[in-house]
Amino acid sequence: MKNVILITIDTLRRDVFGCYGRKPSLTPFMDSLQNKCLRFDRAYATGPYTQASFPGILTSSYYLEYGRQKNLPAQKTLISEVLKEGGITTAAFHSNPYLSEYFGWNRGWDTFYDSMEDDVTDLYPFMRGSVINRKVDTWLSASGRVGGDRPFFLWVHYMDVHEPYVPEEKFVGQIDANLRLEKEEMLGLFKEVILKRDTSEFETVALLKKLYSAKVLEVDSYVRELFQVFEQAGVLGNSVILFGSDHGDEFGEHGGLSHDGKMYSELVSVPFFIYDKDRSGGEVYRGPVSNIDIAPTIAHLFSLHRVKSFKGTSLFPLGASGVRPCFGEAINKRGHKEKMDDKPIYYCLKDPWKIIFDEGAGTYELYDVKGDPGEKTDCYGTAGVAEDMKREIHSWLEQR
Amino acid sequence: MLDHKRIDELNRKIAQSKEVFKQAFERFEPEETRLIWSGGKDSTLTLWICRQFCQDEGLTLPRAFTIDEGDAFEEIDDFLKRYSREWQVGLDWGRNEDVLKAAGHQLDAEVRVSDLNERNREEIKRIGFELERFPFEAESYVGNHLMKTVVFNTYVEDSGVKAVFQGLRWDEQPARKNDPYVEEVAAAHLVPAHTRYRPILHFTERDIWDTTLHFKIPFCPLYREGYRSLGAKTTSMKMADIPAWEQDLENKVERAGRRQDKEKTMDRLRKLGYM
Repeated sequence: MKNVILITIDTLRRDVFGCYGRKPSLTPFMDSLQNKCLRFDRAYATGPYTQASFPGILTSSYYLEYGRQKNLPAQKTLISEVLKEGGITTAAFHSNPYLSEYFGWNRGWDTFYDSMEDDVTDLYPFMRGSVINRKVDTWLSASGRVGGDRPFFLWVHYMDVHEPYVPEEKFVGQIDANLRLEKEEMLGLFKEVILKRDTSEFETVALLKKLYSAKVLEVDSYVRELFQVFEQAGVLGNSVILFGSDHGDEFGEHGGLSHDGKMYSELVSVPFFIYDKDRSGGEVYRGPVSNIDIAPTIAHLFSLHRVKSFKGTSLFPLGASGVRPCFGEAINKRGHKEKMDDKPIYYCLKDPWKIIFDEGAGTYELYDVKGDPGEKTDCYGTAGVAEDMKREIHSWLEQR
Repeated sequence: MLDHKRIDELNRKIAQSKEVFKQAFERFEPEETRLIWSGGKDSTLTLWICRQFCQDEGLTLPRAFTIDEGDAFEEIDDFLKRYSREWQVGLDWGRNEDVLKAAGHQLDAEVRVSDLNERNREEIKRIGFELERFPFEAESYVGNHLMKTVVFNTYVEDSGVKAVFQGLRWDEQPARKNDPYVEEVAAAHLVPAHTRYRPILHFTERDIWDTTLHFKIPFCPLYREGYRSLGAKTTSMKMADIPAWEQDLENKVERAGRRQDKEKTMDRLRKLGYM
């Protein structure tokens, strides 16, 4: 049985990848893997920020099931708990406080590194990719890991693309050779522009996007380094590696910055592909899929039974479950503070339509995601399909 | 009562720990080493094994070092005083007097950073805080750093200690799972170079209690009252009203009675632009 490795990159938009159509690509290394990958052209997150999205990825559940709470509810089952019970060794290496032991995400992991004991700086308020890679390297080199009879599940999560955008000089140079900015100035942009969600100056937003792009180049280099670690440890040949992201990031597309409680494509469209060294010729699956299916797919790869609390199903055999609508939910907040009277917001995507329901305002938006991928023209008042989509999202909310 | 197989197993684990002490004393004189002794069950067992090893080998017993965070249980203090006398262990106490003074020795008192000495101000900056004041709590982020890490580093530096023994265990918490028996800490800004030895890494919590009870090693009475893990007084809680060793050690997290550092997590979120 092969090991399974899940690599997730926080705040990574789908449209930064060459393999998803960007020219020039910001992800040369991950693009180079595509001939050994099954790529999902249209994967969607279950929420637009970490707390709303990660329950989808690691517990195959929607954010607000069991109510609004900061901690991971006890009723939810982490993929690590399922696998550990199934005799699989489980290990996690990440640096996202929302997924830390403090919020209850350490359940079921044999090894759980959330970095909360370590010191960080304002410029890099997380452990950088190179540090995460070293931790993984140490773990893999520990005796008995490789070639042992127990397969393992390893989850690696990078925070490097997350604001504040303070990329290394060499990556900035690759994006714009004329761009000169001190690290303190980059931090200043974070405090003065991003935190204030100030999109009034087009040039400043464009500058932020450049810094973000440089961070994407940087994280691609960490993935390259991680693959070297895998190669040296001898696990590359006997592991299936899943790549994904929890959400994207906004650069003024819908009047904001960062990742607030909105359901537009720049936030919920995410990359997803599966690397397998034994696979020949890149394959591309064109239908919509949801991150809700990641945990069930991992359980399936280990030949484990369906888990009762999981809301998704395995993506394999490909297409067997038919094309299902994709859903997401979050708190409709603006800015960095969530207020108690902020209400939930939901989306349902059923080709080619996507409906967004704002519970607080009681309003809907409807977009044709094929004809209008940027989701600029709301056709709720004009499209005849609006009532059907409304029923679709409400019936999901009722039976959820 | 333990069966013979189990006792053999515990003896093997003790022998394994002695190997770590052997390695350490081949490299360092006992006078150059210190045993970190919090008065908790793990460091007390470490000391007990160290004493045995030194007696067997005719070595001087290293001095012990304990850190007073300003929020200690009286029971722990009494335990340390009593057994340092009975076991004839030289015991040094470390305190961050400067912070204690600025807080008026009062928990939750607000400490003004400008009242602190240069070293403490520099340390706050080193861990990435830009604050003017903070509440005095031993297990908050700033508090933990100033009251423990700084006290430790200062002591190592001032006493010229080259190596320390720590009673850490692999099963204590997942973050410890990859800790090595010997770790070299390189010199850095405000951090003196030293070597850390962890002789009892392979003991589980169950092993600790079986060994402690079987060999009648003394322990702090708080464990009998239901505490499983002892930290600062105000942040440690009883897990149950039965002795620690009668609790469900295998299925309930040992440190659940100790508050995970909320402030540290919140600070990370702030730095990422949340909160």
